[in-house]
Amino acid sequence: METPFGAGLANILVVLPARLAVIGQPERRRLLSLSVTEKRLWLAMAGQDLRKELDSLLLQLLRDLEELEAKRVALNTRVEEGWLLLAKARYVMGTKSVGPLQYPSCMEPRVFVRASENQDTMQTFRLVRADAQTPEEVEPREAALRRRKGPNKSPEPELSAAPQDPLNWFGILVSHSLRQAQASFQDALQLAADIASLQIHIDWCQNQSQGLREKLRQLDSGAA
Amino acid sequence: MLESAELHFNVDHGYLEGLVRGLKASLLTQQDYVNLVQCETLEDLKIHLQTTDYGNFLANETNPLTVSKIDTEMRKKLCKEFDYFRNHSLEPLSTFLTYMTCSYMIDNVILLMNGALQKKSVKEILAKCHPLGSFTEMEAVNIAETISDLFNAVLVETPLAPFFQDCMSENTLDELNVELLRNKLYKSYLESFYKFCKNHGDVTAEVMCPILEFEADRRAFIITLNSFGTELSKEDRETLYPTCGRLYPEGLRLLTQAEDFDQMKTVADHYGVYKPVFETVGGHGGKTLEDVFYEHEVQMNVLAFNRQFHYGVFYAYVKLKEQEMRNIVWIAECISQRHRTKINSYIPIL
Repeated sequence: METPFGAGLANILVVLPARLAVIGQPERRRLLSLSVTEKRLWLAMAGQDLRKELDSLLLQLLRDLEELEAKRVALNTRVEEGWLLLAKARYVMGTKSVGPLQYPSCMEPRVFVRASENQDTMQTFRLVRADAQTPEEVEPREAALRRRKGPNKSPEPELSAAPQDPLNWFGILVSHSLRQAQASFQDALQLAADIASLQIHIDWCQNQSQGLREKLRQLDSGAA
Repeated sequence: MLESAELHFNVDHGYLEGLVRGLKASLLTQQDYVNLVQCETLEDLKIHLQTTDYGNFLANETNPLTVSKIDTEMRKKLCKEFDYFRNHSLEPLSTFLTYMTCSYMIDNVILLMNGALQKKSVKEILAKCHPLGSFTEMEAVNIAETISDLFNAVLVETPLAPFFQDCMSENTLDELNVELLRNKLYKSYLESFYKFCKNHGDVTAEVMCPILEFEADRRAFIITLNSFGTELSKEDRETLYPTCGRLYPEGLRLLTQAEDFDQMKTVADHYGVYKPVFETVGGHGGKTLEDVFYEHEVQMNVLAFNRQFHYGVFYAYVKLKEQEMRNIVWIAECISQRHRTKINSYIPIL
């Protein structure tokens, strides 16, 4: 006669090795010493832990998606506002005074994007102004070494003068619309960096949740 | 002296005054603007403009149509009309019309100098210069290193020569000095134009002097407003204010001390003409100070046509036409950016 435990035992013997493969040595020894019932309970609890983790990951994903949507809308608004303010500046200052004649064909950027990876191998993007103080990666000892080596060392670009404010390309006394346009575009720049970081975080969350669902599927097909 | 104006004016200038009044009647009406605002693309705008006095002025433009091309063609059309006036005019109307072109010449000189600072080619800049302010020595402007160079080598033969009195210096031409030069030249020009109109007397002085006084005061206010938060010192700022307006001398002295918009508004409140103008800033529709000044200017220019036998009609026509061009360019920008919330911010004229 097939006992209910017989089938369960067979499955446990199939599922356990798979589970054992992902857990460490001390846990393995402890598991192998448990009874069948205890082993079934353990599998159920592991499944519950996974489900809780998946739930929190999905909630985080949804929160991130909502934030992404809001940031995208804000970016669109700021960029549209910037272009309209540029048109307003042209209305006041003259159509040809705010145009391709005023900016040089090769420009130096005032803001750089720094990509850094954190412990989950997830990239985040930060905006760094060109005239910021000494970059964090350079240790004080290294800087001293550079100075001691003398003038034949190639000049570092960070220590040169910060690039000029692009507002001055259009004159010193520019209309307020132009200043407001500059502020709009600067905000949009910050939003763009945030959106990029958020997008990467969302992709990472999606991959994690995919992985967790796989594990759950294996667990459920083993326990069934 | 009214009798002499009525008796002698038409002998020399009657034909041109008739012509300019005809041209003024063909400015865009409110209905035209309503039609333009409803356009979906710039091609639609071009088709609607064909039904007005503009006609086929965009017929030779290659695709795609841009706002900049529309603006350039409108300017060319205005320049053609103005050149016709100038070619048929006699003294003293010729001098008056030359005075009108000086402001565009100053703008062109500054455009060329800024272009030289940005290492742009002369041909590229010449294409964007205002045709009303073109003069033969334009191509040589960018080689000048200092202001004295500019004057001695290039501009000494042009109508701009007398305006360089206060601007001579050996400083190199960087952005700040170019801005100072622009404003000082304009100040000299405005004061000289004002003196010419005043000396002419007659209806011309009665019509033109208030308009030029407003222009001087407007410049003082706008220079002050734009200088907040810049490196321009208060002493430098004071040298840029034209002195032919109502604000001279007390108002200008108070404006020099102003440090924000509210202090400027306090200065304007002392003057009966400017107090209501400043009241309408902000308001619904978010009007800026420049918008409100443009509206006031349009009102004064339309009123100039109520008097006869004076040269002010020519000045008023050109300024009204410029406002119409600004309106059309604004509507075109809103259409091309597909951002129609502020499309009705143009200033209707007729």
